[in-house]
Amino acid sequence: MNGPALIVLFSLVAYPIGYSFWVSLHQQNLKRPDDTRFIGLENYFALWRDPTFLSSLRTTGLFVVLVVSMTVVLAMILALVLNESFLGRGVLRSLALLPWAMPGVVNGLMWRTIFDANTGALNGLLTDLGLIDSYQAWLSSPSGAFFLTAFAQVWNTLPFAVILLLAGLSTIPSDLYDAAKVDRAGVFQRFRQITLPWLLHPLLIVLILETMNAFRAFDTIYVLTGGGPGDATSIIAVLNVRTALTYTDFGLGSAYSWVITAFTLIISVGYVAALYRKGSFEV
Amino acid sequence: MTTPNVPPPDVRPPRPRPSRPRRAVPLRYRVPWKKIVVYTLAAFLVLYLVLPFYWIFAMSFMREVDAISVPPNWIPPHPTLDNYLSFLRPDESQALVGGRAIRETPFALGNSMIVASATALLNLVLAVPAAYSFSRLRFTGGRLLLIGYLITRMVPSIAIIIPFYLMIRSMGLLDTYWALILSYLTFSLPVTIWVLKDFFRAVPRELEDAARVDRCGWFRTMWSVFLPVAAPGLVAAAVFSFMTAWSEFMFALFMTSTEAAKTIPVVAANFATDMNTQFTLMAAAGVVAVVPPLILVLIFQRLIVQGMAAGSVKG
Repeated sequence: MNGPALIVLFSLVAYPIGYSFWVSLHQQNLKRPDDTRFIGLENYFALWRDPTFLSSLRTTGLFVVLVVSMTVVLAMILALVLNESFLGRGVLRSLALLPWAMPGVVNGLMWRTIFDANTGALNGLLTDLGLIDSYQAWLSSPSGAFFLTAFAQVWNTLPFAVILLLAGLSTIPSDLYDAAKVDRAGVFQRFRQITLPWLLHPLLIVLILETMNAFRAFDTIYVLTGGGPGDATSIIAVLNVRTALTYTDFGLGSAYSWVITAFTLIISVGYVAALYRKGSFEV
Repeated sequence: MTTPNVPPPDVRPPRPRPSRPRRAVPLRYRVPWKKIVVYTLAAFLVLYLVLPFYWIFAMSFMREVDAISVPPNWIPPHPTLDNYLSFLRPDESQALVGGRAIRETPFALGNSMIVASATALLNLVLAVPAAYSFSRLRFTGGRLLLIGYLITRMVPSIAIIIPFYLMIRSMGLLDTYWALILSYLTFSLPVTIWVLKDFFRAVPRELEDAARVDRCGWFRTMWSVFLPVAAPGLVAAAVFSFMTAWSEFMFALFMTSTEAAKTIPVVAANFATDMNTQFTLMAAAGVVAVVPPLILVLIFQRLIVQGMAAGSVKG
């Protein structure tokens, strides 16, 4: 019964995957079509000598950590609030999914109008609140651009994490909490000893999916900063696209892609191993 | 004499009494801390989630002058539908500054609709049998196959975009719906299979056994017993693949070049990269790009969470 799916996937994916790995072992640049030759792992070695790559690796690391930690904390708060019963919960539940409906490109577009140096809402809001005296060019400073890009990315990917955590929360039997209340466990104790252990699995899924997403973040950054100013927001995925599609350096670009793949695989294997040891993972 | 029912005191020592004395007045007013915290957090979250979108929403109903004023107008002072209407018939000045993107928006919306729906539908058709086999049968290589599906998902789309482009070109499918539908299948199908597999496992086997006792064939059993029970999972999976397809940008950028198949993110990016574009038109395009998937999400909100709860969260 796997036939149809297998045929479709295999015929669509197998060749491109194999081909791109093959290309990553070549010197192949559209700008120098005559100079295409097999060079083994040279592209990969070249990456490690390239200061642009090394600095983007640092940027990517910071970006991933920042985005993932902000997403997890915010999503946890949002999911916990949504799990309580209060007036207007249905409305908030629906609103929580709003950013999910927004394509990454549109997300970048939206935040660009908000962060705009001359007319942006952020400047307007902060001035109205009396927090700043004059309009700031937020996206022109490297650190400002970096943090705001991460912020915009978090807004976009938050709902997915919330859905997973909320689904996890809904599977916790409520009598556990009743029992804990009888034992006079405080709010934080209940969270640490009941909620967190039950949420371990969805939390790990959130961690890995958001890490993968952050590693590949491109759409929002492309529209918001294009990787700049300088290389402040040039995370590895942005560099990958630039190398492969703008500089048409297919060989090096493919090597980039496989480095991203390797990172993703390592993280996923770590995740599966962690779950497997806990005995809660079966395929 | 003690009654035999009373347990000896050393087996169950009495709980140490809390040192605090009991409250003398049980009906004293207590500050509802929990309520206060929940409502405060909820209010902040509403602002966080809604304000950014509200900004482009409000902007899309403004005239350009009002949109770029300092200090900003939080409410459109002269509300107008002109920005939306210009997608249908751009006037001369608009045609000059951002004409192509404006004219292409309605087409792109239609294209996105068709491509995303077809992707969702094909995903279900292909993934249901595969997921069913994983949830009910044990077969050699099953685990390996399942992990294999997942691994195809690990390769970033930028890795396969060039060979995929060459493949699609040689099939003569560039700038068609199929180019996009096929490429979106590559990354949504593995996820769909995984989500559905977990969901199907949660459906009790007894249902199918009962149907078989009633002499239902396999297809009847699937169609009228199994799939209806699994409906939340199907809906969740379909919505997920719809959203992926709706938002995808890179493949759409490279596989399409005209309004025959360009999708809404591609056109939206044109608004962003064109320095002349008016803010208000850009905002209107953004709103238009969000509304269809938003409606979908709102309708199926309950089923999505339910589907996830029964499915992948348990693993």
